Amino acid sequence: MKAGLLGDRITGSLFLLIGIGAIWHAWSLDVPFAADPVGPKAFPMVVGALLAIAGASILLRPDEIAWEVGDYGRVAVVAGASFFYPLALEFIGFVLATALLCFACGKAFRGPTIGTAIASVALSVTFLLLIDVMLGLPLPRGPLGI
Amino acid sequence: MDAASSLAFGFSVAFTPFNLSLALAGAALGTAIGALPGIGPINAIVLLLPLCFSLKLPPESALILLAGIYYGSGYGGRISSILLNIPGDPGLVMTTLDGYPLARQGRGAAALALSGIGSFVGGTLTVLLLTFLAVPIARLAVAFGPAEYVSLMVLAFALLSTMGQGRTAKTWAAICLGLLGAMIGIDGGSGVERFTFGSLEMLGGIDFTTLTIGLFAVSEILVVAEGMRSGAVTNLGSGERLKLSELVSCLPAMFRATGIGFFLGVLPGTGAAVASALAYTAEKRVSNRNNTFGKGDMRGLAAPETADNAAQTASMVPMLALGIPGSGTTAVMLGALLMYSITPGPLLFTQRPEIAWGLIASMYIGNVMLLVLNLPLVGLFARLLLVPNWILFPGVLGLSFAGVYAATNSMFELLLTTGIGIAAYAMRKMGIPLIPMLIAFVLARLLEDNIRRALSISDGDLMALFSSPVAILFWLLAALTLLVPVLAPRFGRRIRAVSDSEGG
Repeated sequence: MKAGLLGDRITGSLFLLIGIGAIWHAWSLDVPFAADPVGPKAFPMVVGALLAIAGASILLRPDEIAWEVGDYGRVAVVAGASFFYPLALEFIGFVLATALLCFACGKAFRGPTIGTAIASVALSVTFLLLIDVMLGLPLPRGPLGI
Repeated sequence: MDAASSLAFGFSVAFTPFNLSLALAGAALGTAIGALPGIGPINAIVLLLPLCFSLKLPPESALILLAGIYYGSGYGGRISSILLNIPGDPGLVMTTLDGYPLARQGRGAAALALSGIGSFVGGTLTVLLLTFLAVPIARLAVAFGPAEYVSLMVLAFALLSTMGQGRTAKTWAAICLGLLGAMIGIDGGSGVERFTFGSLEMLGGIDFTTLTIGLFAVSEILVVAEGMRSGAVTNLGSGERLKLSELVSCLPAMFRATGIGFFLGVLPGTGAAVASALAYTAEKRVSNRNNTFGKGDMRGLAAPETADNAAQTASMVPMLALGIPGSGTTAVMLGALLMYSITPGPLLFTQRPEIAWGLIASMYIGNVMLLVLNLPLVGLFARLLLVPNWILFPGVLGLSFAGVYAATNSMFELLLTTGIGIAAYAMRKMGIPLIPMLIAFVLARLLEDNIRRALSISDGDLMALFSSPVAILFWLLAALTLLVPVLAPRFGRRIRAVSDSEGG
């Protein structure tokens, strides 16, 4: 169960670093003018200090975490698809990009290939009709106009 | 205006055909969302916000719709708990204990009917309490100055950290992250950029929609992708329908559970999960004479379901009367109100009575609608459980991104959503609770502004934060809350064990 303790140690040190970073960032702010005697520095410094203390407490007294081993391949597929989706959106348009995202995600959820493909296209077309056409909130259109 | 005439005014707002149909739409959609895994009321409300704006809904109508989704989801969630033994929401773990055995005995239909009635009793009695308590609480709070607000928010955070799920240090870390996240962007008081690292996109700060969808929709899909929960739908059952005598025997349990649910729902941080767990435990202690609890006892089903809905509704009290949300969903609703440039709080009842009372009146109507919808149509909602995962979750993901884009019109916000989602997934694995982070994010601006206002009145003297008896009382209560785990470790552990079911 050492992996469990390691998790808390990493989390704790990360929070400690973010806390110290926040204090340092707030300290180094250049404030030419502030309307009140406190200014914009104090609050982030207090919060950063609190975060650093919480982080240190997690680091020094780590708890064991019940770690359930899951399928990280599927997580990676969904996370990867979500990451590339915004990058693709402007080039290939909403419908195509969303269909690809849904297809990747659907396959990760063990959908049958043809069924997932049909569902993905149906979902993305529905979203376009619903949000863009019916509600008038523009979604990005690709070279095909969809 | 006294409560009765205000309520009558509220009904005049809520009873317009337009608002009635919105309440119905919200209630039906909420039931569906509660029944389906993966979306949840928090995400649904955030995704519907841009819709409310583009349809140019007035704020009271928008709030009626969003609140309908909120309390409607409390009705829908029981379906998968009872038929699948999968609680869709942490508040529903206790519903599975006696609900699923009942379904296995072929009495699924009776269990669903009973839990629907329990939800109605809990919801309606709590709205009744809300009607008469909100204004007195708000009246007390009208006199609150900056110092009182600061101490009240610190008290709320203290309650979150000791009563909520997760380790105290981890909850504080989550609160701090939420506060720091909200500071990103230009500081209103001085025009200085904070935590933007020179990025133009960060100037406006993290969008509320981006944060919420990342925290709750994306991370949920990642968690499900990793573990892939699934189960076979138990048949609704041809067994005996719910008998009147059974219902009557459950009524005392429902009333007790409403009391517990209301009390815990008003406190920040505890919420529905703790309320339903406590109601179940209490009911077991009172009525478990023949050792039937856990094997399909009707009272063991009625108590947590009632408490769950009572707590959900009760958590509207601090949000409406004080402007301080105690749960994730009320935090999102507060965010929605702020987008309409309405600040909830003590003055809401006098300055914008159509919003406050229209909402409260619509909650009476909505609960009746839900009861009527849920008793005959529960089979239809149960059918939603048959939607396969490989259609449902891609759909939720696609709709979430489309919603973020519709709200922000920015690629960068989409990337940020994914980033926040992956970070939130890691945080859930590490046992860092997400809801305190969202609440802190929503309250950060209010907290900092009030601190700075209090200290600028006193010209920087810190004692200004401890200047009034009310503020001192709140500080003392906050200190006491923080000391509970130290002074009474058993009590602290007990609460933690109860709320452990909340997971991440």
